[in-house]
Amino acid sequence: MRKNLMAVPHYGSLFTLLILTLFPFYMLIVSSLKYTEQSIHNFWGISFPLRLDNYSTAFRQIWPFIGNTLLISSAIVVGVVLISSLAAYSFVRFNYPGKQILFVLILSLMMIPGYLILIPQFLLVQKLGMLNTYQGQIFPPMAFGAAMATFLMKTFFEGIPKSLIEAADMEGAGEGQIFFKIVIPLSLPIISTVAIINFLAGWNNYIWPLVATNGDAVKPVILALSTITGNMDQGMGVQLAGYIISSLPLLLLFMVATKPFIAGVTSGAVKG
Amino acid sequence: MTNTASFFRKHWKGYAFLIPIFLVLGTFKYIPFFNAVKMSFYNWNGANVKEFIGFDNFVRLFSDDTLHVALKNIGMFTLSGVVIQLTLPLIAAVLVFHVTSAKLQNALKVWFVIPLVIPSIVIFLTWQWIYAGEYGVLNQFLELVGLESWTHAWLGESKTAIWSVIFVNFPWIGGINFLLYLAGLMSISSELFEVSKLDGMNPWQRFLRLELPLVRSQIKLVMVLTIIGQIQSFENVLVLTNGGPGDTTLTPALYLYTTGFSYNEMGYSSAIGLSLFIILLLLTFINNKFIKNTEKID
Repeated sequence: MRKNLMAVPHYGSLFTLLILTLFPFYMLIVSSLKYTEQSIHNFWGISFPLRLDNYSTAFRQIWPFIGNTLLISSAIVVGVVLISSLAAYSFVRFNYPGKQILFVLILSLMMIPGYLILIPQFLLVQKLGMLNTYQGQIFPPMAFGAAMATFLMKTFFEGIPKSLIEAADMEGAGEGQIFFKIVIPLSLPIISTVAIINFLAGWNNYIWPLVATNGDAVKPVILALSTITGNMDQGMGVQLAGYIISSLPLLLLFMVATKPFIAGVTSGAVKG
Repeated sequence: MTNTASFFRKHWKGYAFLIPIFLVLGTFKYIPFFNAVKMSFYNWNGANVKEFIGFDNFVRLFSDDTLHVALKNIGMFTLSGVVIQLTLPLIAAVLVFHVTSAKLQNALKVWFVIPLVIPSIVIFLTWQWIYAGEYGVLNQFLELVGLESWTHAWLGESKTAIWSVIFVNFPWIGGINFLLYLAGLMSISSELFEVSKLDGMNPWQRFLRLELPLVRSQIKLVMVLTIIGQIQSFENVLVLTNGGPGDTTLTPALYLYTTGFSYNEMGYSSAIGLSLFIILLLLTFINNKFIKNTEKID
């Protein structure tokens, strides 16, 4: 009896909060399927016919930039996973003078906020002739992701039984073999977490490409969103369709990898 | 000679595995960082003018009215951000935690997290559309419920702009903090909830006496993350208002960006950045002490 009494305010407030949270996205979807004239007559609801041509118009304008973002984000992921797993392996597998200091040197980079080094980084990339290139959008973000990735990988590698690695060592496996055939296959969970964090960060990068690119050749999709335009009939709908299209790859990633995805975003917070 | 040779023969593998990461970090983080520190002592326009001026840039910080407005603004952002993040996401987490059906609970968790998956720029652009003048969602809603007189150009008027920026993402649940709270609640032993039931606690008492004290460490973490995050507010204001109208929503990070890239005052811009960085370091230091102390008391 009492339980039922509590259920109404409990679920009532829960669903109110959920509806408020999702309402902007509902409006986004509904309005992206309308022409201006439909929006004026029926602002809140679904209006037929659904104007799917808003999506094709938007897609025609942003697909090259989606390609750019995919390329850049994937390259960041591969780079970060590679350099930070190598570094983490070094810290876990070997003993050498200065190890602690070198680790702290990497970790302390997490403290340096991006905007502090924005200008010198820009001048550096300019000097290296990397403005308006893919490399220019890959290496600096890679440097941002690497510190935390090294920390996460090192923690994970420490959990791999030493005996496994020693046994391989005894049988004459080289470091390369131990690294690629034993450590990496055992570390897929942390690798996917690190990959997701950095893919997400790469997809979201806004300020850096804003500074380091101009023109269309290597522009990422996030920068292209505000330039999408439709014809007179389509109006705002095309732009909203573009917002949705540019979010779909991340939503897809979230759906196929919910667990590592959530692990990834929360581990990003906990280090603070 | 033989000593160094044997030293490297023994240890070269460990160092070799570190070469790639230090090449990348050295080039793209250490060098820019040291340049930022160095530049803050120069009057520099990024090209031909470059003279050493000692602490002049830092002295100028104290008499720069625009910067002071920006500091006041992040004060507002930080304060409201803390209040927001300590209430609604926590309440939502408690509500979701007490959902009895595991299936429904999981579904709710996923749905609440969706805004986290959307690129942040898309969120900002969506809210820009919500706040838009004529065909904005918010104004349409106000007209629908007969409050035409309440409509505003939300981001364009100096009275409403800062609150509009703060209200982006309302009701502020879809984020990491909600997940952190939920994880904290999940780790409370179920026996304690049994006891609270036997004691006849109502949900409000249970929240005050059981849940709130036991998610204390999450609350602390969220507070620290929010303060650190809000002090660095940048992208949201850049996209939503570009600091305007006037400088009513300007933040120090955005001010740094415009002094650097629009006015080419690279030296002064670096000094702003360095000062912010030092403030952040101090806060982190205070926070570390603060957390360690309370744990000792426990």
